[in-house]
Amino acid sequence: MKKLVIDIINKLNTPEISYADVRFTNTDDQTVYFEKGNLKHFGSDMDSMSLGIRVLVNGCWGFAGTTILTDASIEKTIKKAIANAKVGSRFRREPASFKKLKPVKASYTFAPKEDPFQMDDKFKIDYHEKIAKKLVGNEKIVYSYIYTVFYRQYKIFANTEGTFVDSFVYDTMPMMYVLASDGKETMCRTWPGHMNGRRGGFEVVRNVKMEENADKIIEEAIKLLDAPRIEEERADIIIGGGHLALQLHESVGHATEADRIFGKEISYAGKTFIKPAMLGTFEYGSKIVNIFSDSTNEGGMGFHLVDDEGTPGASVDIVKNGILLDQQTSQETAALLEVQPSSNMLASFADDIPLIRMTNFCLAPGKGSLGDLIKSTENGYYIDFTKTWSIDDNRNNFQFTTEIGWKIENGELKGIVKEPTYYGITPEFWAACNGICGPEEWEFHGTFHCGKGEPGQSMHLSHGVAPARFKNIVCNVKA
Amino acid sequence: MEFRNELVKICEQYPEFKFNFHYRNWETDFLRFYQSQINYNISKTSITLSTTMHKGKKSYSFSLKNPTNAKLLEKIEEVKMIIDKLPEDPDFIDLEDDLTKSKEKEKLNNVEKVSLDKKIDILKKLAKVVEPFNFKIYGTFICNYKILYIINSNGVNKREINSPIFLEVKAVSNKNEVTVLETYGGENFNTFDVERFTKDLSAKVEAATGEIVDVEPGEYEVVLAPRCVGDYLMYLESSMTAHSLDSKMSFFEGKLDKKVFPENITITDDPEHPDLINFDYNHDGHIYKKLPIIEKGVFKNFMVDNYYGRKLKMKKNGAEGAGLIMKTGNKTKEELIGSIKKGLYISSLHYMNFINRKETSVTGLTRDGTFLIEDGKLTKVVNNLRFTEKISDIICGITDIENRSYTIPSSSNYGEFQIYSAKIPHVKVKGFKISSSTRTV
Repeated sequence: MKKLVIDIINKLNTPEISYADVRFTNTDDQTVYFEKGNLKHFGSDMDSMSLGIRVLVNGCWGFAGTTILTDASIEKTIKKAIANAKVGSRFRREPASFKKLKPVKASYTFAPKEDPFQMDDKFKIDYHEKIAKKLVGNEKIVYSYIYTVFYRQYKIFANTEGTFVDSFVYDTMPMMYVLASDGKETMCRTWPGHMNGRRGGFEVVRNVKMEENADKIIEEAIKLLDAPRIEEERADIIIGGGHLALQLHESVGHATEADRIFGKEISYAGKTFIKPAMLGTFEYGSKIVNIFSDSTNEGGMGFHLVDDEGTPGASVDIVKNGILLDQQTSQETAALLEVQPSSNMLASFADDIPLIRMTNFCLAPGKGSLGDLIKSTENGYYIDFTKTWSIDDNRNNFQFTTEIGWKIENGELKGIVKEPTYYGITPEFWAACNGICGPEEWEFHGTFHCGKGEPGQSMHLSHGVAPARFKNIVCNVKA
Repeated sequence: MEFRNELVKICEQYPEFKFNFHYRNWETDFLRFYQSQINYNISKTSITLSTTMHKGKKSYSFSLKNPTNAKLLEKIEEVKMIIDKLPEDPDFIDLEDDLTKSKEKEKLNNVEKVSLDKKIDILKKLAKVVEPFNFKIYGTFICNYKILYIINSNGVNKREINSPIFLEVKAVSNKNEVTVLETYGGENFNTFDVERFTKDLSAKVEAATGEIVDVEPGEYEVVLAPRCVGDYLMYLESSMTAHSLDSKMSFFEGKLDKKVFPENITITDDPEHPDLINFDYNHDGHIYKKLPIIEKGVFKNFMVDNYYGRKLKMKKNGAEGAGLIMKTGNKTKEELIGSIKKGLYISSLHYMNFINRKETSVTGLTRDGTFLIEDGKLTKVVNNLRFTEKISDIICGITDIENRSYTIPSSSNYGEFQIYSAKIPHVKVKGFKISSSTRTV
């Protein structure tokens, strides 16, 4: 396939085409899914190969992708990409342009500790079945499931600037869920929560310790049925890592994607409240808030040598000491903002067009353990495990509900509360951050399901976070 | 066609297994525009075979891109080595056995019919219309073409063709980013009336040039545009499936044939309605026909597929909610708005999510044009607002319904960008709960 990619890029190296890139991906995935203790789905999509060609002609992008890799289909795909750009340029007022980058030639392979695609299928089934059976033991648990998705992708990238990179990575996403009912209402608990994707192989499944936590989530789901709700109008809240990853994702990650500034995502994902003039001056959060995009950290699913337009992986400060400094950019939007491209252009598969996507989007750690943070909180709530998420078109007003919360009184965790729901306005919320746990609590959380673009793409990405505290947050919203 | 026959042969060749095949040939032409110019044009093609092999109550699923007979046979041999080792699913009884066929109409390939040049001509015209108001157009113009074959070992051998067109135009103010939305969806491009589309879009733009205000959280009398009602019904639909009943997450559990909503609410699922994007079969290959869902407020039917129908001993009906139609009322849109002294007109919703599915509690936001109604008239633009509310309460709060309904397209966005449509009127709702403002438009 390397030869095929090189042959295509050579064909595209013509004076008429000011830039072109070609990608090939070969993706495998496998899913084990038990529902109510029974295997409901076991299956795989192996050798899903696709090819994508993106060209810039007369300042307009054209793209064509296919999973049909015959000579005739590839020829048609090349022609279609060029025609899409040429015809499109009839309705392109401001030509896209950017500086040439230095070519990169490199190769990367991630080696999982336990390769799920080399393991015995029976072992994986038995492993999950044992836990699935534990989830159905209690009569108040009316529904349950457990699944793991295993994924690996080989990618070749080449562009007309001379970059040629191939990579091979493994990601894994395990999850279990229980629903408790007392006949009147239902309450759920998940483990390890919705930010459950990680770079790695079967070791990821072992690391999240689902079997060890099965009884705990059953007990908590049942207790939630009789638990009170938060009654205070406002309270200090400590947000656990799994949910804080999503808070960061929605209210900072998506808000700082530069394509939104220029309206390129208005039709589906939305806009952003950020304007170019805010860079360097806007107070996004309190002074302890430091947020960065880092595609150089191999521990996260957002690691890469180059992004899908050849920009080398980079670590970029987005918010430094509370001030908004930069954006996640493509080459085109970086040129418009007069900043360096941040290496955030990615596509899920080769037949998808690259978009500005989060990679490893992280909140820098502060100091101390979670225990220390709770101890230093006189009154408030410790909340975790996302249940509901929603944020507006401009990424300004968000509202989240978590599955569970624990009341904090005089620095100690007391009883649980059900469906804690809080809302906020993005910069006011991050300005209220007055405590972030230290490196010992900082870890990667992640998802396979960050949706963006049309046709929609689901991206694998990670968030490095440690639990953090926010003061005086509105937290008694009820339907 | 040739490969379809191969799949039938394979069902016969391996009688010890039951096969369920979905063989899809899909293409799309996808234009995205922003600031009244092209963002990019995408063309995609794919051929996929999704297969589930059953041996008794054991099963294994796999998918092949660009499949050939040799690749499929090789995979079957692999599965034969695995399948006996798998645990059984005691709830699996049999594959779909409904052999009823629809007319399986031929459909024009709109990817070919609606060329990129034609799309650009339309967009140029729309851009020109909003320009005097200091607005630009943003959005998508999509044509898909899909041929799906559903074949199984019980003799199901069916074909469905879809070729939807989806045009979504947002006009956005250069001055303050106030946004309005106009859409078209259908399979027959001759029904696209560019003059009407232009007129409707410019009327919305004109209404969006007013002063922007904020409103306090609280309960409001609102007029919901058809798109909003469609969105609420789509979320509620997740409670109408046999699967939701089985997973104890259905609001309608124990409510069959009971009055759940006011008498003015009648909802039907009609995948053959001439104003909608049509579907012949559900995902199992069961014939998909008109089905009453709510009749005069009474919940009449769950949407029952093969697996959960057999498991729960419910009659399969093939319904999927891909053609929801809400019965019209007797008021004009102007009368609905005109009867409100102080309230809101909500054009569109954004980022809605369940807080508790069984209770139908959701939170979400307004988008693409929220307006203040004062003394029966739209007077000002309102910042986008957050609602936190039970969908069942919203429907119970419907006091009046418009006497006309509109075709509202929507997309599943992911995978093959399937496009659906619904036919919905405006409604007036009392006591609609606004929980906060976004302070932005």
